[in-house]
Amino acid sequence: MRKIVFLVVIALSLALASCGSSDTDAPVKAVEKYLNALVAKDADRLPTLVCGEWEEDALIELDSLQAVSARLENVSCSQTGTDGDTALVHCTGNIVLTYDTEDQNIDLSVVTYQVIEEGGDWLVCGKR
Amino acid sequence: MGLTQISASILAALLVGALTRGAPRTYLLLVLSVLAVYWFQPAIPLRSFDFWIPSLSIALALLTWFVTSQAGAWRSRQNLMGLFVIAGVVTLIDLTRYIFPDPFITTTTPPRFIIVLGFFALTVIAVSAVTIFSRRLALTLSFVILLLLGILLLLKSPILSYQLSVFLRTLTNRPTDTASALDVRWLGFSYIAFRLIHILRDNQLGRLPELSLPEFATYVVFFPSLSAGPIDRAERFSGDLKKNFALTQDETLSAGQRIVIGLFKKFVIADILALIALNDALAVQVRTTGWMWIHLYAYAFQIYFDFSGYTDIAIGIAQLVGIKLPENFASPYTKPNLTQFWNSWHITLTQWIRAYFFNPFNRWIRGYKSLPAWAMLLLGQLATMSLIGLWHGITVNFILWGAWHGLGLFLQNRWSDFSMRRFNTNNARLQSALQVGGILLTFHFVALGWVFFALGEPSLSWHVFLRLFGS
Repeated sequence: MRKIVFLVVIALSLALASCGSSDTDAPVKAVEKYLNALVAKDADRLPTLVCGEWEEDALIELDSLQAVSARLENVSCSQTGTDGDTALVHCTGNIVLTYDTEDQNIDLSVVTYQVIEEGGDWLVCGKR
Repeated sequence: MGLTQISASILAALLVGALTRGAPRTYLLLVLSVLAVYWFQPAIPLRSFDFWIPSLSIALALLTWFVTSQAGAWRSRQNLMGLFVIAGVVTLIDLTRYIFPDPFITTTTPPRFIIVLGFFALTVIAVSAVTIFSRRLALTLSFVILLLLGILLLLKSPILSYQLSVFLRTLTNRPTDTASALDVRWLGFSYIAFRLIHILRDNQLGRLPELSLPEFATYVVFFPSLSAGPIDRAERFSGDLKKNFALTQDETLSAGQRIVIGLFKKFVIADILALIALNDALAVQVRTTGWMWIHLYAYAFQIYFDFSGYTDIAIGIAQLVGIKLPENFASPYTKPNLTQFWNSWHITLTQWIRAYFFNPFNRWIRGYKSLPAWAMLLLGQLATMSLIGLWHGITVNFILWGAWHGLGLFLQNRWSDFSMRRFNTNNARLQSALQVGGILLTFHFVALGWVFFALGEPSLSWHVFLRLFGS
């Protein structure tokens, strides 16, 4: 009985470990989560969604939104390619910033997000 | 706990109370409590630490159970089942990573399962090693107490918390420039540590009956009292778990009433008072004595309604599942002296400190025969109240707040001795005048103490004191 339980645990863990890395949408989801945390101005979640090298830039980007209310509008992302180990994700749509009653759109299509895998998680790691 | 978490806790408690009895109730409470440790943990800017911190809470509870239980106790069916339930819940929480697109129990995505398996293995090795030592070395229990106190020290000291954040950021390859003392927020650790230390200390003294793992773990991380207490006693809690409880209509109404009162205190009164309660920004901005007193009064009542509101909610939710948590407040602002205030403010913390620090400290200091009685009393009060201050955070202001109360308790004790001899009278009017005067004096003494508690710096507190008294 114990052997069976042991084998089940090992098989389950190997299966899960492999299925964790086979998610092809993961880089796109990583960017979407990043954008959602950004407009929610979630300074605790945002650093967990970006790589270490880009954490300070991400927090600066978040700080720039502090005085306005922000939301996403018609955002859709897709992976456009790879550059070595880096996945490239392009988004369309806008971040709409509202100050008082005035709206200002930030067009997301002008940048491509660089996303890398670190410890099994895909993390936003820069823009081009 | 926010309103969503409170609502979910009420619903879960109602279901457990209404549908389960006996052992299934204990296991279900264990499952809910382990889930709550993860769900209540706030997000922190270090990846996966909102999973690792609750996991460490569970690991510390397991470690304490293993070193305080009898050799081989884990092999019993009930305890194996407890281990299986705890490991199963933690595994399921981690597996949400693969099932749901967004995290829904933890605030960020949990780590990969293979890493969690490694954590399980490490926990087993650490617990086994310490348990083997504990059978041979009486000092092991003291070592676990020191470990818990060490973690408390790390979390409560802003300087050490900052260094911990720098260390963890370096370890996880994150920039250290953005490190902050607030990075590592460990939900409910103060309460968890105090419950564990109570168990370890009572076990050392042979005062604690053997608890099964499901009872023990449920006691340590019981979801209604996880984030804000009260600090129950293990044997009392376990007694409630063993009772054949059935949720009656009267019990439900009484619990509901308590929860509604708590919600009103916390989310209506306290949250409104918070808008004008004394804080660092107001301390600098306020220009008049009158307004400074208004902000101070608002703070005094805000902190009371906030904390006692949470306690009411915890007691009400626990009542739904048959657990009678101890009271933490008994109208503290209506007490005529400081001793009575401390017997009715955060009662379970005061009782804990009295049992595990004040009484042993007094016994120890009585060994110094050369010290006069008043000096022993003064040292005992100052040390105890400073410790309560430090429990809130290792800062100068919390020490000053503790010392303020320690000195106050000492002076009140001396005054009581003196006044009992001088003003012992049967005059009812004089008695009630002394009573009212005592209430007003005690309230204002406590309110002035909040100046240290509410503000971050001694210089700011001094500025507020000057403003309050007309400068």
